[in-house]
Amino acid sequence: MGFPEEVLEHVFSFITSHTDRNVVSLVCKSWYEIERWCRRRIFVGNCYAVSPAMMIRRFPEVRSVELKGKPHFADFNLVPDGWGGYFYPWICEMARAYPWLEEIKLKRMVVTDDNLELISKSFKNFKVLVLSSCEGFSTHGLAAIAANCRNLRELDLRESEVEDLSGHWLSHFPDSCTSLQSLNMSCLSSEVSFSALQRLIARSPNLKTLRLNRAVPLEKLSTLLRRAPQLVELGTGAYSAEIRPDVYANLTEAFSRCKEVKGLSGFWDVLPSYLPAIYSVCSRLTSLNLSYATIQSPDVTKIITQCPNLQSLSVLDYIEDTGLNALSLSCKDLRELRVFPSDPFVANANVSLTEQGLVAVSEGCSKLQSVLYFCRQMSNSALTTIAKNRPNLTCFRLCILEPRAPDYLTFEPLDVGFGAIVEHCKQLQRLSLSGLLTDRVFEYIGKWAKKLEMLSIAFAGDSDLGLHHVLSGCDSLRKLEIRDCPFGDKALLANVSKLETMRSLWMSSCSVSLGACKRLSQKMPRLNVEVIDEQGDLDSRPDNCHVEKLYIYRTVAGPRFDMPSFIRTMDQNPTYRS
Amino acid sequence: MFVWGQSWEKSMMNCETHKADMWVPPPLSNVSFAPNSYPLFSHNKVSIFFCKMDVTLGLLADSPAGHGDAGGGVPSGGSTTARPILTGSKEDNNKNSMVMSSEVTSSYPVVVDQNLNDLELGLGLSIGCGLKSKGWSQYARILTAKDFPTCKQNSSSSSSSVSIPNSGTKRTATDSVSPPNCTSVVGWPPVSKAHRMPSLANEIKSPNGNLISITEQNKSKIRTIGIKDCSKKKYQSVKVNMDGSLIGRKVDLNVHTSYEMLAQTLEQMFFRRRSSTEAAKYSRLLDGTSQFVLTYEDKDGDCMLVGDVPWQMFLSSVKRLRIMKNSQSNELAPRFQENNERHRTDAV
Repeated sequence: MGFPEEVLEHVFSFITSHTDRNVVSLVCKSWYEIERWCRRRIFVGNCYAVSPAMMIRRFPEVRSVELKGKPHFADFNLVPDGWGGYFYPWICEMARAYPWLEEIKLKRMVVTDDNLELISKSFKNFKVLVLSSCEGFSTHGLAAIAANCRNLRELDLRESEVEDLSGHWLSHFPDSCTSLQSLNMSCLSSEVSFSALQRLIARSPNLKTLRLNRAVPLEKLSTLLRRAPQLVELGTGAYSAEIRPDVYANLTEAFSRCKEVKGLSGFWDVLPSYLPAIYSVCSRLTSLNLSYATIQSPDVTKIITQCPNLQSLSVLDYIEDTGLNALSLSCKDLRELRVFPSDPFVANANVSLTEQGLVAVSEGCSKLQSVLYFCRQMSNSALTTIAKNRPNLTCFRLCILEPRAPDYLTFEPLDVGFGAIVEHCKQLQRLSLSGLLTDRVFEYIGKWAKKLEMLSIAFAGDSDLGLHHVLSGCDSLRKLEIRDCPFGDKALLANVSKLETMRSLWMSSCSVSLGACKRLSQKMPRLNVEVIDEQGDLDSRPDNCHVEKLYIYRTVAGPRFDMPSFIRTMDQNPTYRS
Repeated sequence: MFVWGQSWEKSMMNCETHKADMWVPPPLSNVSFAPNSYPLFSHNKVSIFFCKMDVTLGLLADSPAGHGDAGGGVPSGGSTTARPILTGSKEDNNKNSMVMSSEVTSSYPVVVDQNLNDLELGLGLSIGCGLKSKGWSQYARILTAKDFPTCKQNSSSSSSSVSIPNSGTKRTATDSVSPPNCTSVVGWPPVSKAHRMPSLANEIKSPNGNLISITEQNKSKIRTIGIKDCSKKKYQSVKVNMDGSLIGRKVDLNVHTSYEMLAQTLEQMFFRRRSSTEAAKYSRLLDGTSQFVLTYEDKDGDCMLVGDVPWQMFLSSVKRLRIMKNSQSNELAPRFQENNERHRTDAV
């Protein structure tokens, strides 16, 4: 510890992981001080866990802030509107305190046009804006960003809900802006001025990622590609047009010039006749997102069999077992597979995609680490086979479309199958369960899933014992989200201290009582126990009534006050009597 | 590896090397754990799932409050501190349970611990049967195959009664009685908005101009093809040429369910200037009033008038379509290919 500060600072500059930085800061007081002055990147996994003022007070020289707002189940409409996650208090403080801020990355937060305008005017060196699954802003806000951020490098709106007033925002990029490296506007629906887009691309020599929106017609894609042959990631617009030989020829030629393309996405409205145009880039592809492409198995197969270097594939279940089999034979480097349902709300299978497809991929793709799989049937034997084939899985998310569907061969619960997954895949960090499951599966999870950080449970379990197994056994658990399970008060109250070691716990349509929430809140002052109940006045409810939704998270910022009336933080007054 | 039966002994031994209290919920004041109940499923036979460790685990000396007893779980009887059943020397009890497991067959949950004076539990297939706790009896019954109406039948078409009944999961009376199914549960399946798009985004216009979703598209495909037909062509795209037009088009026949629909599509493709009101009426390509006539080449190479044969038969024999000028329609004999070489410039 006799090193001068500058030396330590220099050493710390090589430590980039947030966890490592946090550990460094705990070594001793002087290291804490040095570290906090040289921390440049902050990640706040729950925007209510800490207040902006606290963050700014501790870390005065930050250049990049990443925040997450709503719970994950907000993606599935389980979090009511008005829940919170407002960016407003953060930008107000940061605008004042971080004039040199360069990056803002937000996920599931509410951002307004005013917020965007404030960003654009407060930070002279602003470079990166990523709004992932955010909402609350319109294209006017984007216009402000485009117009005022002179050094903008990255604008990524992935999956945000944007009020799309017009495509005119893109034209606000000044002619002097040549710094753009990444543009993702795929979630927008309005047509942007094509000539403005063309000119923007032409004057951005460092543009590496371009994700167009659906409104960009296929006929014009070749024009854009010709101006950006250095692209590494491309998202097409709508992928269909009148069959015209000149269009096809231009497209093929434009793709063949893109020697650097490694990732493709987009592919709305695919007309299969135009697919061969991409064949020239297939051999270099490491990432392919066909999850909007409603093309059938033969067409999908034709593409993926030409992509031997594929590492990440997202696809609709039109790929079917045959396509997945072909995948397992062709793409030996596959790390991540996501299969989405083409018709999720229909009980009967519209496609021939079963557990066999996933088993085949688990056999053929030895590097497979991450799986998201929607299907209609599963068996314990298939899950066990997958587990034994792929002990290197780190993320396994299985969604059998029918809630509580048992093993379709034996009609037993899928406890044993998922048990095999957690037993064999010792590095498993993320797991989503589905199908018919008893408390048994949670016993296995508690016993084996020691590295598990995020667990999603739905329509499973028999009793509090299930939840208890998880809370007491999963040493690395950070995020737990539960819906429609018969878990009540006991497991929660038996594991109160565990909850403070986790980022958050979501429980909806379970059997937790209001009284238990109050008691939990009293026992753990550093937890916010938020009860969401849209039905009526929480004050007049008896303690034994069940709460609709419950969101518990650790925080050093105390209860929040930006909630609508149907959300209440349980009182932490220690003198409270139930 | 958890396999029923024999290896339970093995897993028990493995368990012993873990901390004893891993299997035991920590003592809590004023809270008692309700016994477990495991669903019993039957498909021609009764098979029972339970863990012997959990049987001992779950049976506490205190009167079980039962899951139906909502709230903070304070039994009004003022019972003393709930303690896990493996009291006293945990090692001893573990050994007891070890012994127990090797003695007892795997079929029946058995209570051996003599300390459970307060607990009334009998031998039986169902753990919950002997308990007096309220709200439990409904959760332990033997399910038969008829409890899974849709599991066995893949082709069952009733989507309203799709799901497994609630038995085996503990729900209180306040929860909804009807079991969830794919279509009626909020936020299920867990597909984010971005990925719900395929069904909405890929819309085609039906003959009367309404948007129909890809679901409808698929359904029409299924109707015309049949689900189990392995030789089905899911994507039957044929070339269409119009006399006097250099540019050929392609149309997916499987998306259409009738001649009328096909004709409407072709009219929109080739006769763009038609107003939408005209599109709503019967297609003029089929009724002979247009100056054009819709013909097709079948697998024998013959040029046939579209509309003569049933739609399915047409689908199985059509090779390509041609919109012919009416003046030539009397000369259906000429070889189709000759005309195509003169007129066609297809891209693909």
